[in-house]
Amino acid sequence: MQKESGFFQAFYDALGSLKLTVSVFLVLAVCSIIGTLFPQGLTPDEVESRFRPGVAWLVNTLGLADLYRTGWFRTLLLLLCVNLVVCSLRRLPKTLRLLRHREERIDPAKLGKFSMSRNISTGLSWQEAEPILTGALSEEFRSVERVPEAEAFAATAEKGRSSALMVYVVHLSVLVILLGALLGSIFGFKGFMNLSEGESSAEVVLYQGNQAIMLPFEVRCDKFSVTYYDNGMPREYRSDLAVVEKGKEVYKQSILVNDPMTYSGVTFYQASYGSTLKQAEVELQDRDSGKSYRLVLPFRQMVEIPGTRDRVQAFEYRQDLGRMGAAMVVVLSREGQDPSGSWILIDKSDFHGNRVQNYQIKVLGTEQSNYTGLQVKRDPGVWIVWFGFTAMLLGIGMTFYMSHRKIWIWCGPSAGDRFAKILIAGRSSKNPLAFEREFNELCERIDERLKSAGTGN
Amino acid sequence: MIDSSLLLAVTTFAYLACMLFYLAGVIFHYRPILSWGTYTGFGTLGIQTAAILLRWKESYDLGYGHAPLSNLYESLVFAAWAIMLIYLVMELRSRQRTLGVFPALFAFLAMAYASFSTGIDSKIQPLLPALKSNWLIAHVVTCFLGYAAFAVSCGISFLYLLRKTQTDNPGPKGFFAILPEARQLDEFNYQMILFGFLWLSLGIITGSVWANSAWGTYWSWDPKETWSLITWFIYAALLHARTLQGWRGTRVAWLSLVGFGCVLFTYFGVNFLLSGLHSYATR
Repeated sequence: MQKESGFFQAFYDALGSLKLTVSVFLVLAVCSIIGTLFPQGLTPDEVESRFRPGVAWLVNTLGLADLYRTGWFRTLLLLLCVNLVVCSLRRLPKTLRLLRHREERIDPAKLGKFSMSRNISTGLSWQEAEPILTGALSEEFRSVERVPEAEAFAATAEKGRSSALMVYVVHLSVLVILLGALLGSIFGFKGFMNLSEGESSAEVVLYQGNQAIMLPFEVRCDKFSVTYYDNGMPREYRSDLAVVEKGKEVYKQSILVNDPMTYSGVTFYQASYGSTLKQAEVELQDRDSGKSYRLVLPFRQMVEIPGTRDRVQAFEYRQDLGRMGAAMVVVLSREGQDPSGSWILIDKSDFHGNRVQNYQIKVLGTEQSNYTGLQVKRDPGVWIVWFGFTAMLLGIGMTFYMSHRKIWIWCGPSAGDRFAKILIAGRSSKNPLAFEREFNELCERIDERLKSAGTGN
Repeated sequence: MIDSSLLLAVTTFAYLACMLFYLAGVIFHYRPILSWGTYTGFGTLGIQTAAILLRWKESYDLGYGHAPLSNLYESLVFAAWAIMLIYLVMELRSRQRTLGVFPALFAFLAMAYASFSTGIDSKIQPLLPALKSNWLIAHVVTCFLGYAAFAVSCGISFLYLLRKTQTDNPGPKGFFAILPEARQLDEFNYQMILFGFLWLSLGIITGSVWANSAWGTYWSWDPKETWSLITWFIYAALLHARTLQGWRGTRVAWLSLVGFGCVLFTYFGVNFLLSGLHSYATR
């Protein structure tokens, strides 16, 4: 039993140890480096085609192609969190005890042993000196506390006491930021939506897991435009968006790259653009009957071939299909059969493969339309992250640049004399050089005031 | 006609002169030359400040109207400015003139690289849509103040390690005896790292807030983001080790050099070797 609690204690100590903190920081740094050197976002199949089988197996097992989302990388982040929680829990009671500590008495002999201490003699009695000392101290220090002492005046004065707690604020802020990120990934979503001019949609394709979700409202793109500077560099990408709810337009806004639109918690960012097929004019020749038909196919709309029960639609469009130029997929739907389709090369109208079943297809002309690529996001955790960021900055700034400064003062009768003897000592939790200057100034001010009060008598 | 490029050319050579003064002062143990270094440093910083403001105005005259922080050339100029500003403030506060060699050298190298590299375009360019944001100034200024503090810290670390090589001969006749004591160098180094860490944190956070409003995500593990986080990890490890484990001196100096290596990779390596969202910083 004894041994077991010893083991758990050792384990707990190790979890909160500084060695672990520094190791985790350095290991995280090294792993992050691997992630920036290895191409991220390859699918397992792509990895297998690029690397030798053994290497590919290793890469896929360790998840090197999507390193920052792997379980083991997140475990490292979790370990950092556990480490900072345990180490904060272990140190906090000590800090609090130190902050709560109140002197019960001040031993003048001990004050002389401080690295920063000063003896001041005066022609006043300690009762006369007391208001001068309290006055000088309370100008510099917010909290001046008298230590009960019958035959002398003894007090402590301190400031910046909370600076010792700031390091816990920094630690907590890391947890808050990660909590915000976690909430965002659980309750939020991130995806994209491509809208042609005039088109409206509620469907967002998510980045993770090849899924789509439907928004409770539709977004319509009225216009997408790019403007350029004189030297040809792009100046502005602008999408004029409108929100449509139950067929009614309820909100309108133009978005730019740095100026997104937020509607009921969902934010739309200008992310990309491109052009897509609006409609295509085609000539279909029935190779069985020799008849030919001229049709206009609006993108993704079924059109019936006159005099038949066959319907065709332009289903997919690429500006450059495998270096063969522009191409589109034409799908033929015939009653009683599964739809069949094929890539039709638009620029190579004589290509013998431009056919679907018994129809030879020739594209006579196409009309394109611009589409805007929107990044769509809902992140309820973002405000928690912002809060964490603010706390972290304040915490770091105050941990670095504030110190806990404390003064001990004792003023009492010196042996066999009615004049008082004054002892002052000081200590600072950091930056002792700056505090030394402050301490000396304080002592000189006290000395001067005591002198002028003495001559006043 | 005085324009910003003329002033920046003057700045480049004046930083070289400044570095040589500091170097000569340290080598010949002659303090008056060190103060020439200081005067040259302040004078050049003034000229460079004027040049940066002038370039800002010139961009308005061209009809573009943006702060001169938009590409690699302008960021190098700003880096040199920030390094010298931070160093000279430290020099005033610490009253130590012997630490100026490396900051002046880094400032000169940044200016020389910006001016003479054929791959860097010094023309004032209009802003890309991605950079049109009020966050641009906040993000670049905070990051570069951090980088500059780490550059100064790297210089102090070099001096510390040089000084340490002479521990066998600590007398007043040692070659590096004109430098502050090792203990003092360690303290300056620590103060610089604290300062840099605060600004690096601010830089990462402003970048993160900006990314959220431009790209819709405050963290995307883009190589630049990741490398700035790696740098942050290294300096965080250093600060923890120094505060709690009592690491002093040599180990801190070496970690600071590693940290500055990460800063350099974040700044240059990521731009040239890795692709990502920060690609506009390559030209």
